Order: sequence, then C-alpha cells, then structure tokens
Amino acid sequence: MAEQRIATSKVAGTWAWFFQRLSAVLLVVLLGIHIYVDHFWHVGEDLSVSNINDRLREAVFIVIDYSLLAVVLLHGLNGTRTVLFDFDMFAKRKDLVDVGLWVLGIATMVWGVTILWPFIQG
Amino acid sequence: MKVSSFKWLFGNNSEFWPTNMKTGMWAWVGHRLTGILLVVYVFMHLSFLTQASLSHEKFNDLMDVMAQPQFVFLDFLLVCAVIYHALNGFRVVLFDLGIGIRRQKMVFWITMAVAAVLVVVGFWALRELIFTGGG
Repeated sequence: MAEQRIATSKVAGTWAWFFQRLSAVLLVVLLGIHIYVDHFWHVGEDLSVSNINDRLREAVFIVIDYSLLAVVLLHGLNGTRTVLFDFDMFAKRKDLVDVGLWVLGIATMVWGVTILWPFIQG
Repeated sequence: MKVSSFKWLFGNNSEFWPTNMKTGMWAWVGHRLTGILLVVYVFMHLSFLTQASLSHEKFNDLMDVMAQPQFVFLDFLLVCAVIYHALNGFRVVLFDLGIGIRRQKMVFWITMAVAAVLVVVGFWALRELIFTGGG
C-alpha cells in the first residue's frame, strides 16, 4: 500500500501539487471575502437581487467572484484528480482523466460566468 | 496487491480497516471525504444559483427555502466541513514545509482544537437561524 501511495503522487505530478497548495491559500482569502460580503457586510439585511446588483456594479467584486469560481474549480477538480489516481483503473488512464477534468472545469467556468451575468447587468 | 480488487481498501489486513487506522490515516480519510463533499456542494450551489438567476421571484423563492431551519443546519454542516478541510490542509502544508513532521499527532490535535473553536463560533453565528429559521 505504501508503494501505491508513492506511485499516486508520481502520477499526479509536481505542478498539480504546487497549484493545489497555491489555490488553497487563495481560496482561504477569496472565500473569506465572499462569505463576509454576502452574509456579514450588511448585518440584518436579507440577501436580495438588488443588493447583489449593487455589489456587482463595482468591478472588484466581479473579479473576486469569478476568481473564486476559477480557484474553487482548480482546487476541487485537481483534488478529485488526486483521489481518482488512488485507484488503479484511473491511474492507468491518466490522459483520459486529465482531458475529462479539463473539459468539466472549462464547461463549469462558462456555466458560472453565465449565472452571474444577469446579476451584473442588473 | 491488486489495487483494482479493492482488497487494499476493505480487507481487514488493509491499513484502511478502521481498527488498523491511526491518527494520520483518519485525518487523511476525513480530508478526502470533506473534499469530495465540497466539490459536490460547488455543483449544487451553481445549480441553485442558475434557478435564482432566472427572475426576482425565483431568487426570493430560493431564499425562503434556504432560510428554513433544516437548510440552515445543512449550511452549518457545510461550514464544519470547510473548517476541517482548511485546518487539516494547513497541517499538510506545514508538513510540506518540513514543520512538525516528527510531532504530527500533536499538530493534528492542535489544528483540530482550532477547528473546534471555529465550529463553535460558526454555530454561535447561525444559532438563531438554525432554531427559528431566517424568514
């Protein structure tokens, strides 16, 4: 089993390891801002379409929300990739798993961009 | 040992067998489980937001449902998963930097103590909504 874990870390690769750590740090910062702004900035005020519209009039919050989605997808799908590579059947099909996760990640990013668009347009 | 047979995962000689697992192994399993849970949540979050983005009425309907105590409690469980995953991830990063490896069990329990404090703070912040709802 110890041999299998060493093999898994080799399959996943050094860049995957590096970006997992980098995205983790970014996530803590971006998620912290997201939760604070959505739930604690205007305490006592219900979350509504109009206060989301107000927030997204400022470009910095659009950048924060889209960056958060990109970093979440990078961290989540990279982590999923590592979990999959613990299993022989996926580790043997590394290229297929990589392509699948890239397609899923890009499609989800496009999906997320379209979700926020009506709120940005107000 | 053939990994694809799953005997490495479920056999009672496996290091994953509950009675064979030590602190670091439990931490690793917890990290994996909370990680998978959070990935599933991201897709659920996007699905709900898709509905909410259709109209003001749909947005308000979703907010009304999410303000019900049982959904606020699920939010609290989500907060617990995020806190565990983040704190255990911090412990892993410390080990990557060569810090605390020889005292890994103690480092685990210190990070879990911090996690417990944050969970209590999270519960305190959500307590009224959990018991009475946010509507």
